[in-house]
Parts: sequence; C-alpha cells; structure tokens
Amino acid sequence: MVAPLAVRLAAQEFLERAGEVLTASAFDAAWRGRLSGTLDLEQYRFQGAAPGLIDTARHDLSNPRLALFLDAQLGEKAYVFAQTRIDRGFDPGLDETEVRVDEYAVRVTPIEGARVHFQIGKFATIVGNWVPRHDAWANPFVTAPLPYENLTGVWDFDIVHSSNQLLQWSHVRTGLSPAVTAVEKQRRLPIVWGPSYAQGAAAFGSFGKFSYALELKNAALSSRPDEWHDGSDARWAHPTLNGRVGFRPNEMWSFGWSASEGSYLRPFAVPLAGHGRGDYRETVLASDAGFAWHHWQAWAEIFATRFAVPGVGDADTFAYYVEAKYKLTPQLFVAARWNQQRFGTIPDRAGDETWGRDTWRLDFAPGYRFTSHMQLKLQYSLRQETGAVLAFAHELAAQLTLRF
Amino acid sequence: MKFLRYLILCVALVAWPLSVRADAVIEGRVSLPKSRTAPVMNRRYEIIAKGGVLSINPPLAVAYLEGSFPKSAPPPVAQIAQKDLTFLPALLPVQVGTKVEFPNFDETYHNIFSYSPAKRFDLGRYRPDEKPVPSVLFDVAGLVTLHCDIHDHMRALILVLDTPHFVVTDPEGRFRLTGLPAGRYTLKVWVDSKTTRELPVELTNGATVRADFP
Repeated sequence: MVAPLAVRLAAQEFLERAGEVLTASAFDAAWRGRLSGTLDLEQYRFQGAAPGLIDTARHDLSNPRLALFLDAQLGEKAYVFAQTRIDRGFDPGLDETEVRVDEYAVRVTPIEGARVHFQIGKFATIVGNWVPRHDAWANPFVTAPLPYENLTGVWDFDIVHSSNQLLQWSHVRTGLSPAVTAVEKQRRLPIVWGPSYAQGAAAFGSFGKFSYALELKNAALSSRPDEWHDGSDARWAHPTLNGRVGFRPNEMWSFGWSASEGSYLRPFAVPLAGHGRGDYRETVLASDAGFAWHHWQAWAEIFATRFAVPGVGDADTFAYYVEAKYKLTPQLFVAARWNQQRFGTIPDRAGDETWGRDTWRLDFAPGYRFTSHMQLKLQYSLRQETGAVLAFAHELAAQLTLRF
Repeated sequence: MKFLRYLILCVALVAWPLSVRADAVIEGRVSLPKSRTAPVMNRRYEIIAKGGVLSINPPLAVAYLEGSFPKSAPPPVAQIAQKDLTFLPALLPVQVGTKVEFPNFDETYHNIFSYSPAKRFDLGRYRPDEKPVPSVLFDVAGLVTLHCDIHDHMRALILVLDTPHFVVTDPEGRFRLTGLPAGRYTLKVWVDSKTTRELPVELTNGATVRADFP
C-alpha cells in the first residue's frame, strides 16, 4: 500500500515540476507561455457496427492519442493558443499515425474587461455548450453526445438525385452496392462534427449577465475534419456564419441560443444542374442550458437542423441530450446521459417517408481521478435504432488520461 | 507544617511564570529558490473570460519550531481566499486541528479540491455569496496541495504542522519567530515539497537566537 502511494506521489511531483519547466516568460513576465498536454489511451468494444464517428470494421478498437497544447498570454491584450495531436485520425480509427495541428488562434482584447474579444485562426465552434468540456479530461464521458457524432444520410462527397437515393444513404432502405457500403460511413455527416475546429474569425464578449459570440468559418458545423483546414477560395466562397447569445442569471444557471448556416457540400462535389454549392445548406437552431451546484453539474442541448437537399427537399432532424455528473467522493464521479435523434419526412413516390433512423442512446459513465494528473473513465452505452439489425446495441468504452 | 505549605506555594508562584514564560525569539534568513514563472491561464473555450495577466506569487518559506509543547487552546480559524482567480495566500502554514475557510471573492464559481494524502476533499462548485463559507478541518500533519477544478492554473499549499510555533518568511527569506518557550528544539525551514532544512536550537528566556539557512 505504501509503495504505490510513494510511486503516485513521485509521479505527481514529477508532473507538477514538469508543469513548471514547461512554463516560460519574458518581458518581466508580461509575456508568458505554457506547454501542456494529455495522453489518452482508449479502448472500445461494440456489439454491432462501430457507432458514431468510430471508423473500423471490427468490434473493438484501441486508440492512443497525444495532444499538446500551447497557451500564451502576450501582455494584457493578446492571447495565443494551439493544439497539436498525434493519433490515428481525428476520430478513433485504424489510419496511420499522423501529426496534425488541430487548433491555432490569436485572440485580441482591445479594451479592458470582457466586452469584446476578436479571434482569428482555426478553433472550436462557439455554438452550444459542449465545446468547453469536450477534451478528455473535462468530458465526463468517453464519447461525444449524439448530435456531435451520430451520422445522418447526408453526404458531402456527392449529391443525391432522388428521395430513394437519400433513403438508401440513410439506411432507411437497403440497396447500396457492397462496394459503396464498405466506404459510405466515411461520406456521411452528423449534425455537428465534434468540436468543429474550422478556420475563421470570431468576435465575442459579455455585458453583465449576457454574452454574445459571432463567428465566420470556412466549413459548416457538420463538415468533416479534412474540411476544417481547407482554406481554399472554393471553401470561402460559401462561408458558414454561426452565432450564440448567452444568458447567465447567476453562477448556478446558464442558457444559450445558437444559430448556424453554411454549405455542407465539399468543393469537388458537382451540384445538381441549376444549383450551386451554396444551395446545399445546413441550417441549425440550437438551445443549451447548464447547471452547477456543489457536486452536481448538468447540461442539455437541443438541435433543430435542416439540410437543404436540391432535387429532394428539406431534410429535417431534431436531436437533444440531457447529461448530469455527480461527484460521489473527491475522486470518484458518475455521469449519465440520455440522447435522442429523430428525423423528419421527405416526399417520396410512396408518400412522405422518414429520411433517417430514429435513435436513442443511454450513456452511463463512472470515472476516477487517481491524482490531479491521471483519470480513468469507463462508459457503457445502450443504443436503439429504428430498423437496425440489433434491437438494442451494447457499447463499452474506457479511457485512461494522463495530463501534464 | 502550615508554614511549609505557604513556603511551597510561594516558591511555586514565583517559579511558575519563569518556567512557562515564552519570550525567546529566533530570527534569521533562508535562501529562497528563484522566482517561479507566473501561471498561464487556459482560456481556449471561454467566451466571457476577462483579459489580463495573473499576479505572481513569489517563493516563500515556512520556519517552524519542532519539539514537545503543552496542549494549547484550539487554533484560530484560518482563511485562504480566491480572488482574481488566484489563491490568497498561496502558502499557508497551520497547526494540526485548524479549520481553514475558503471564501470566494470572485464573481464566478470555484471548485477547490485536494488529493493530498494529508487531506482529500472536494468542496464542489460554490458561489461568492455561499453561506456558511466552505471550510475544511486539517487534522493530520503534512503538505496539502490545493487545486481548482475549474481554473487549472490555480495552486496553493497548506502546510499542516504539529507545532503552534511557525511563521512565513518575507519575500527576501527573512523570518522572526517570537513568543517561544525556553528549551532545546529543532528549528526547521520548509522551502518546497522536496526541501526542508533544520538546525538544533537552545532557547533561553528573553534571548534572541540567530539562525540562518544560506
């Protein structure tokens, strides 16, 4: 018992000192920067096909990931941050190991206080309230909420020519060729792709109990990571505009209302005759709420989304989740989340047809913080998808995070 | 017989203040490590964060006298405040059995916790106007590292000591321990979690002992 404690304390001491070593300053400490990071080791096991954005044909997956962060305060008015990751793809998968710069941005605060900040670079979206807790250390779960990972039948590689084709892409109808089935998961889009680290510029700030944020990005909320760093003119020809208004009546409660509109079709996809890329629009109206008091934290988000699909019509989907976390002891916490996504109808030869598989998922996750630098989370999910082969799918995940 | 009783009483009355008089002093200076680099706040996903530079806590040490001391009254309540997203003070020595309050003077939540073996606790998220002020009783000697679950950069130390005689140095490393009882003791200086230096000292009433830790 004594030896593990001694090892733990030595490791803690080492990581505390590493934190000091990785901090540097200049100009009488007015400029200062810090390197920090997380090392994640994830393990997934699923009964059916790999859920969400996990990309594998197997029923289990190991996924290591190293994330390095730079935070630098340059005087009182400028703040710079960046995130580099070494992993096997932005989302868990079996790709070759790669090094990416996922985030980089400069924030300028021209006037003292919090009324207005300007930010330019490649950074997470201001829509909703999941982004501030999306990293492995802060997220009580291993996976993202359903609206941030559940794939719809909308593709960005190609366009649909008929309702029947969209119903095949969304798995409501069968009929995809085996060759297409093998790769089609990589073509589908969720409502929001994770934290959506797209390129662009933002202005944000707060006035008393109200906050605002406005951003112009190069990719729609649903766009995949490959699109986030595509700064080509073709991408910027149809930028995405996101906005959020927040209201915090007190520290306990927070509320937000977001809106987003942008083109989801990739620049190389050829639009339907008579249409442009700008006609393939994703429009999102979202609302979020947060609560915190003592050892309780809770969050909820609702997304009403419309994908404009020329030649078919508007494909609407509605998704929400409610999530709560409770600290049972200083080191042990539990979290539970209820997620649901429902799909609207599109006109079809046989009448109106629901264009996606309605889905619900229940997530339960206990977590334990061994020290302020090491955390283990486990997650069990029960998923039900209308028309799926399995009536209920069971999914397990574990994530060990080392933070420095 | 009656005379003898009076004599013993008189001797006791005269001798008592001499034996418990606590007016010895130790003063000295300790070399402090070079100033730490000020922390950097992670504000990547905060859209209502205020701009600015955090204050720097200069390195300080704690000088304390180790020995056998008579039990005293319960120590007074101590405080570590959270102000401008910083713990104030960042280093607090307390005697075993001290209750420490953690008032929040910021206009935002804080969530103080410690995973140190000497005291594990998590106060949860609490508002500036929270009553009663969240507090913790420190009943085991040792070093307790405080963190905030919301603000990564916040750090503070509580050094829980099994002695009523301690003092924090000034930023130059100077210290002065007063009101000490006469006798032989060990003077210790805690510099950081890996460095504690010590000297044997012999104190006599009314005298000042010089003890430097170069």
